[in-house]
Amino acid sequence: MIDFSSPRHRSKFGYLLLAPAVLLMALIIIYPILLSVDISMKDVRIARIGKAEPWTLKNYAWLFGSEEFWNAIWVTAKMVLMVGGTALVIGLATAILVNQRFKGRSLARLFVALPWAVPEVVATVIWAWMLDSSFGVINWALLKSGIISEGIQFASNATASFYSVCFVMIWKGYPLVSIMLLAGLQSIPQEQYQAAEVDGAGVWQRFFYITIPNLMPVIGVTMVITTLWVFRDFAIIHVLTQGGPIGATTTLSILTFEQSFSFFRMGQGAAVGVVTMIICAVISRALVSRFANSVH
Amino acid sequence: MATIEFNQIQKSYGGVQAIRDFNLTVDDGDFCVFVGPSGCGKSTALKMLAGLEPTSGGEIAIGGRDVTDLGPGKRDIAMVFQNYALYPHMSVRSNIGFGLKMHGLPKAEIDRKVAEVADILELSDYLDRKPRALSGGQRQRVALGRAIVREPSAFLMDEPLSNLDAKLRVQTRAEIVKLQKRLGVTTIYVTHDQVEALTMATKIVVMRKGVIQQIGSPETLFDTPANLFVAGFIGSPGMNFFRGPVEKEGDVAFTRFAGARIKLAVPAGQLPFDNAIFGIRPEHIRIGGEGAEIGLTLVESLGTEKILHFQTPEGQEFNDADTAADHDDERDASSMLARVIDDVRYADGQAIRVHLPEDKIHVFNPDTHTALRAASGQVNT
Ligand SMILES: Nc1ncnc2c1ncn2[C@@H]1O[C@H](COP(=O)(O)OP(=O)(O)OP(=O)(O)O)[C@@H](O)[C@H]1O
Ligand SMILES: [Mg+2]
Repeated sequence: MIDFSSPRHRSKFGYLLLAPAVLLMALIIIYPILLSVDISMKDVRIARIGKAEPWTLKNYAWLFGSEEFWNAIWVTAKMVLMVGGTALVIGLATAILVNQRFKGRSLARLFVALPWAVPEVVATVIWAWMLDSSFGVINWALLKSGIISEGIQFASNATASFYSVCFVMIWKGYPLVSIMLLAGLQSIPQEQYQAAEVDGAGVWQRFFYITIPNLMPVIGVTMVITTLWVFRDFAIIHVLTQGGPIGATTTLSILTFEQSFSFFRMGQGAAVGVVTMIICAVISRALVSRFANSVH
Repeated sequence: MATIEFNQIQKSYGGVQAIRDFNLTVDDGDFCVFVGPSGCGKSTALKMLAGLEPTSGGEIAIGGRDVTDLGPGKRDIAMVFQNYALYPHMSVRSNIGFGLKMHGLPKAEIDRKVAEVADILELSDYLDRKPRALSGGQRQRVALGRAIVREPSAFLMDEPLSNLDAKLRVQTRAEIVKLQKRLGVTTIYVTHDQVEALTMATKIVVMRKGVIQQIGSPETLFDTPANLFVAGFIGSPGMNFFRGPVEKEGDVAFTRFAGARIKLAVPAGQLPFDNAIFGIRPEHIRIGGEGAEIGLTLVESLGTEKILHFQTPEGQEFNDADTAADHDDERDASSMLARVIDDVRYADGQAIRVHLPEDKIHVFNPDTHTALRAASGQVNT
């Protein structure tokens, strides 16, 4: 019998206690990943467990040769840059705004965070309705104010539908950026600003030499979260455009869904999913270590 | 190099008055220390001088120039913060050079000056490190370097040594004084440690609850404290206080300590009271002779130096918030200390005679707690 209280065996007891949790996690997280890797290497139409198929790289061959895949990569990249960049700018601006001392600040903070609290599908349905080409309030307002003379075809114009998806994503995504950056702003010691002020730094110099460098780790983490969110977001695009028109808003996750459930090519869908996963892992690894290194 | 003037400075936070009627003139090249217990407004006064806090009234002038409404960057001052406030993402080199960069100096000149300062402060080997890779003492020197590289007209320091351990604190204390003497820059230094104040300052400002209690050289404050608070705050161990009767014979006044009659240096005419508060420093109490008999309660021996504890005579205890200074005061209100350096062996419980020399006794007004002193020029025998 092992005495688990002895210093030599104490850590073993810890591992023993951890084991069930680790096994469960492995089952829940690792198994589906392995399964999708497995499916992606088989010519599967409808997934059927237990039916042994021979392994093949056919799906990946299709993937790298298909125009759809490269288009999806391109659309996703554009969307990540567009949404990530704009959400960062708006999030930082609002965070700095509600970090100032003024009357009604807590109300303003609530207001900034509001889009985040609205369920994604609800928000998207409302935006889909507002962006409707014929009956939408947006077109109506733009027409009335004379900015445009003809209603924008949000559903059939490729550029318009891409930007309306981006717009809704930014609207939904910037509050999280803002909340995280606000927490980051509040953790910057006041003395650093005071020291910079005594050193003769003006408002902008304090922003660029104190605020931004101190926020870098938070900005990094926030960008990773936003990037991954754009990569895997499905509801907004699916409700607004279903990936159309002609692939203008088909991101990798929409492509995965299309292949798997519209065309019932589970193997090809899984291949897209696996490649997406690898890209995400690489991006987050790069961003996290890069930004984290900038201060700590 | 500059003089610093505070003229009727006030500061309130909402309804709370943190600084009241602050008047002070600091001469060019002075090392002026603000000292007082926690929360007395030292940092607030310093921040108003730096321009980091707006004043609620009065004017501040640096080098004869009214700076009351100028921003910190335009006052030509440098500040050392208690927690150093180094920029964590910049190297030591950039930290020191930051102020020069903000003032638009060419890079070559910044590099030259930073190297020079790093040499003075023995930081040359650490210039490319980030602050987090430095020890507390090294960080403190970087903070100093950041101040001196700018060659400002005044240094402001807010408890720059309080994060260092005791030994390093004593060492750095001396280094700062040397550096200040060498550079000759007017310095305002904030501390709550009266030992630091006494050892570093050419001019001390004792503050309490936002009001200046006394301004003077270390000697002045030690020898002629203006009131009970200053008397109790300055010196270590602190001054002994006791109540005593005032007996008059013509122009001469006496008090009694444990029955023994003691002549006072203050003439009877200045003592229109039946009793008063008296103070004597532990190092001024003489052992032996004709003095009052007391019993020792505790003897602390530090080799040749001894601290003798004894009870304040019955009925003569003086207990007041004014003297409850928060420094290293290890005694309670009803005991007194004598500090002696001799070869006599003392034992707990031993009865000895103590003598209080008349010219070392401080007399305080029992109501206002201000010090009463024989007017200078007046002859006291
Ligand atoms: N921002 C503020 N708002 C309200 N009151 C304040 C503020 N800053 C300081 N005070 C008050 O002003 C008084 C003086 O504060 P200050 O920081 O100058 O004390 P201090 O002498 O530096 O004390 P310490 O030795 O503890 O640093 C305190 O009573 C404090 O509570
Ligand atoms: Mg302070």
